Amino acid sequence: MAEATSIVTLKGINKTFHRGKEPITVLESLDLDVPTGSFEALMGPSGSGKSTLLNIIAGLDRPTSGEVKVAGANLAAMSDSQLAKWRSQNIGFVFQSFNLIPVLTAAQNVELPLLLTSLSGSERTKRVQTALRVVGLEDRMHHYPRQLSGGQEQRVAIARAIVNDPKIIVADEPTGDLDRKSADDVLTLLDKLNKELGKTIFMVTHDPNAAEKASVQRKLDKGALQ
Amino acid sequence: MVPFRYNVRSLFVRKVTTIATALGIALVVFVFAAALMLGEGVERALVSSSRPENVIVLRKGSDAELSSSMSQDVLGLLRGNSAVAQGEGGGVIGEVILVITAELEGKGESQISNVLIRGMPAEGMKFRPEARIVSGRAPQPGTNEVIVGKAIAGRFKGVSEGGTFELRRNRPLKVVGTFAADGTSFESEVWGDLDVIRTSVGRQASVSSARVRLNSPADFETYRTTMEADKRANVKVQREADYYSKQSEQTSGFLVGLGTVVAILFSLAAMIGAAITMNGAVAHRTKEIGTLRALGFSRIAILVSFVLEALLLALIGGVVGLAFVQLLALVSFPVMNFQTFSEIVIAFKATPNVLISALVFSLVMGLVGGLVPAIRAARVSPVEAMRG
Repeated sequence: MAEATSIVTLKGINKTFHRGKEPITVLESLDLDVPTGSFEALMGPSGSGKSTLLNIIAGLDRPTSGEVKVAGANLAAMSDSQLAKWRSQNIGFVFQSFNLIPVLTAAQNVELPLLLTSLSGSERTKRVQTALRVVGLEDRMHHYPRQLSGGQEQRVAIARAIVNDPKIIVADEPTGDLDRKSADDVLTLLDKLNKELGKTIFMVTHDPNAAEKASVQRKLDKGALQ
Repeated sequence: MVPFRYNVRSLFVRKVTTIATALGIALVVFVFAAALMLGEGVERALVSSSRPENVIVLRKGSDAELSSSMSQDVLGLLRGNSAVAQGEGGGVIGEVILVITAELEGKGESQISNVLIRGMPAEGMKFRPEARIVSGRAPQPGTNEVIVGKAIAGRFKGVSEGGTFELRRNRPLKVVGTFAADGTSFESEVWGDLDVIRTSVGRQASVSSARVRLNSPADFETYRTTMEADKRANVKVQREADYYSKQSEQTSGFLVGLGTVVAILFSLAAMIGAAITMNGAVAHRTKEIGTLRALGFSRIAILVSFVLEALLLALIGGVVGLAFVQLLALVSFPVMNFQTFSEIVIAFKATPNVLISALVFSLVMGLVGGLVPAIRAARVSPVEAMRG
């Protein structure tokens, strides 16, 4: 795979945590290439380092050593505030437990990433409507999260993840808290985002059904990709 | 920036803690505002709404009207200066001030307090345009008729309209009216005829103090220098306003100081309350904060958001406290005036200054109490968003 078409390039990634005085190595000399426009599923047992790897790709965390290039940016060299700004422009997040702000309506939750842009109020409203239409929840825009089902909450979260038109969507167990039917809806939606809108999707999952939807499946075990 | 409605609604969602914390702050603001209102009330009572061209003359060495005594002849010297205004409301008046003890109405014989009696010539009322009869009538000059200030009317036996009380044994005074004087301490006095009152107490040829109306406030310095240099007069000349503000300083300073100390002690508790509430909010919302950070909100944005939330919480408390403190405007009570050792009645007085100070005080409490939790919130890692 040529570098120019890779949206994620990791080289020699090490990540060590300290529990007390004991260092715990989570990722060791890990290399990874994710081509632009792919839909990848990362599987592996608990504690294998999946979430840590996802956090590093998403710019939430930094490796102890190694090179991280995502969407053309060298993340290892960026400050906290640079990373925050970079995330807002390049990454869409989908979380296992949706992470909607309970006191804000669906539309206001979706609008959050746009508040970090210079878009006008009417422009933001238009984009929020578009994003909610893509996930099929335009009619629920004024509902609060507690008034929605789990599947609907996750679709609102997906609308929030795409409203800024990011290059990559990272999803952490997106179906983990959902029943089979809702899980299928969410996976279909992610597939559509990948195929129709050309988003690169990097998904951590335990769910074999979810992993099946992805075009590439990877396994992580004891800090190394199999 | 994190939208402000996020903070507003977050406070609203945690109704019970929000109300409890706001009430704590409200209590402190109440105490603080009450102290300030009391101070304003004292100043209003003691600093007469005197005209700037009014001058008060006491015997040299006296600080208060009560301890001053001058010969009647001094009035002539005071009049003989071209700076003194002529005509209606002008000129010089001499007054006699004395304190008698009287029984408090309905409290039995053991309960007595001091009443201040002011004897003034017929034109004395004209020197105090704020004074007006609110019921009954003005006393006849040269008789034993008196009027009573509305603040003390009815507080003492016989010292109310239609009543009679003794200035000295067999020297009764008859109350024929009640007067108001714009909330000043005059409302805690009894006014009667100069000659009748000083004759009753054997001070025929003397006065306690004199009031002089000058042509213009600008004449004061010249007038003061001339009169104080006159060895025959032996007087101290002050602007009326200066005299009263000096009088009020001691009393209001004491009350405001005491109130402020109590409010500051209370505020420590309220700030700890606000800090605990905001700390709980941060702990409870770690995941939300992590999510906001993951979405790209900066540490500063989170810090500002939580500080604003604390300020809003404090402001709610402040407004509630001020709403309750308005009720105090209906309350008045007697305090001892340290200068005259007689009672004056003080009312709580809300002014724009009091309201602004109390609100600023509540915001400071919110800021101090909310800052540490807000810093804690700003330190939440975006990785928290991923934790299950």
